[in-house]
Amino acid sequence: MSIAKRNPNKDQVAFASAATTGFTRSAGEVTQASLALDACVKAIEAAGIDKSEVNGLIGANNGYIQAALGIPEVNYYVGAGVPFGFSIANAVGAVASGQCDVALAYHSIYRNASNSRSASNDPFRARAFASNPNAQALGDGFGPDTVGGAVGYTAWASRYLHEYNESRDLFGYIAVNDRSNAQRNPAAVMRGEPLTMEDYLNTRMIRWPLSMLDMDVPIDGADAFIITTTERARDMKLKPVLIHACTNGQVAQNEEDQTPSLTHHGQHVTVESLRAKSDIWIDDIDVFFPYDGFTFITVSWIENVGWCGLGEARGFIEDNWDKETNRILIKGRIPVNPHGGALSEGGTQGSGHTREAVHQLQGLAGERQVPGATKALLPMGGFFFNAQGSVLRTE
Amino acid sequence: MAATSTEESDAELLERFDNVRLDHINKHLYRGLLHKELRLSRCSDCGWWHHRPKPICPNCWSKNLVATPVAGTGTIHLLILLHQGPPAEGVDYSTPHPVATVELDEQEGLRFTSTVVGADNDDLEIGKRVELDWIERNGKPYPVWRLANDGGGR
Repeated sequence: MSIAKRNPNKDQVAFASAATTGFTRSAGEVTQASLALDACVKAIEAAGIDKSEVNGLIGANNGYIQAALGIPEVNYYVGAGVPFGFSIANAVGAVASGQCDVALAYHSIYRNASNSRSASNDPFRARAFASNPNAQALGDGFGPDTVGGAVGYTAWASRYLHEYNESRDLFGYIAVNDRSNAQRNPAAVMRGEPLTMEDYLNTRMIRWPLSMLDMDVPIDGADAFIITTTERARDMKLKPVLIHACTNGQVAQNEEDQTPSLTHHGQHVTVESLRAKSDIWIDDIDVFFPYDGFTFITVSWIENVGWCGLGEARGFIEDNWDKETNRILIKGRIPVNPHGGALSEGGTQGSGHTREAVHQLQGLAGERQVPGATKALLPMGGFFFNAQGSVLRTE
Repeated sequence: MAATSTEESDAELLERFDNVRLDHINKHLYRGLLHKELRLSRCSDCGWWHHRPKPICPNCWSKNLVATPVAGTGTIHLLILLHQGPPAEGVDYSTPHPVATVELDEQEGLRFTSTVVGADNDDLEIGKRVELDWIERNGKPYPVWRLANDGGGR
C-alpha cells in the first residue's frame, strides 16, 4: 500500500466564489455549454473580478467556453471529469504549482435522451449525444446481464443488505433527508415536493433493491467557481474558503463486479489519504456532504468516514434523526447535504455539494444557513472509478 | 493463444459478434462462448486468474496468459432484479430479470456476471450455489447461471 499522505499545499488554494444557475427538469432551448456559461458569468461577477484575471479553465469543452466568455488568455485548461472532486484536485495542483493563478472551474448538467423521457422528445437533445462515444455502452455483448456502470451500486447495495441483514428503508432515510433539505433550497428541482418514508417504500422499483427514489434526478443546470491562491482570494469580494485537503481513491480490482468487498474499495483509499492530510475530521465539522448519486453511496460514506461502524448506519441515522424537520441532524446540529443533494437538488455529480459547501462557509446559504459554519467535509463519488474527498474551511 | 484449427478465425469471430467491441485481448473469451466454454484469463506462470481480460497478469506481469475454461461452479455474490432495462432477445421485464455476479470456485474474488435461468426470483439469494449453463441468444451460445442441483448455500 502506498497511500498519499503529504499535503504541502494545505490551505494555500481557496475558493473565491461559487455560483449556480439553479436546477430544473427543463431549462428549455439551451445547450450544455450555454448553461455552463450562465454559471461562469455569475461566478466571475460574485468574485468581483474582471474576466481578464482568469487564466485557468477546468471543465468540459473549455475552448468553446473561453471563446464565448472572451477570456483573453489562459495558461491552463483541462477537462477534469466527474465527480467534481477531480476539478478541485486539479485546481489545487494547477494554482499551487503556478500553472495558473485564477482558475474558473465549472460543471454543466444536461438531461439527455437516455435518462429523461422529456429529453427524449427533444430532437436536439437526442442529437447532442449521438456522436459522443461515451454515451454508448462498451458493448460487452452481455446486454442487460451486467453490473457495469451505475448498476454496480445497485449490486453492492444488495450485498450490503445481505451482509448486514438490513432492509431497504435504511436507504429511504437518505432519500427523505435530502428531500426535506431541498424544501429550503430555491435552486432545488424538488422544492415543493416533500417526501415521506411511505412514499419512498411505495415508489416504482427500477433495479431491485433500488427504486426511482434511490437515484439522482436528471436536470438541466450548472455550477461554476473561481479558485485561486488563498492570498489572492483575500483581495476578492467574498470570504475565501480554503481547500484544506483533497484526494482521490481507487483500488486495483476496480471493475464493478470484481471489486474486492464492502470493506475495500475506492472510498477506503480516499479516507485513509484524506485523514492523513487533514487536521480536520468529523468531530470538527459543521456541515457534511456525502455523495448521493445513489442513496446507498451515502450510507457507505457515513460508515466509512467513521461516524459509526460498518453495518451500523441505521442506528446512527435513527439516533441523529430530527423528527421536527424530518432529516438527519448529527449531534442535533450538523445537516447532511443541506441543499438536498444529488437526489433532490439535482444530479450534479458533486458540483452542487461543492457550491453549497462554499456558500455555507461564506454565510451565503440563505434560509438553510448553518449558523457560524467554518468547516465542511465532502466525501464524493462512489466505489469504483471515482471516489474522492475534500475538506474545506474558512480562516 | 493462437486459434486451433477447429476454432473460428478472427475474421469469423468479428462476423459472429458484429456488435461487440472485440479486441486482440478479449477475443479469446468470445471465441470460447461459441464452444460453450467460459474461458477466463489465467497466468500460466503463476496460476492467477483474472477477469475482465488484460494483456498482462496483474499478479506477476507475465504475458503468458491462457484463456482457460472454468469449472462453472460458484456462489451468488451480488444479485439484482431489473424491473426495466435494455432490450434483449428473450428478456421480458414483466417478471423482474435477475442478474447475478457469481464468485467462482477457482479463486477468491474471481467473479462472472450473467442472468439466472430456471428459477423463481423468490428462490434466488446471495450465498446460493449455482452452475454455469448455456442458452441461445442472437443465434449464439450464451452463458447463464442455474441454481445448483443441491441448491444449498455455503
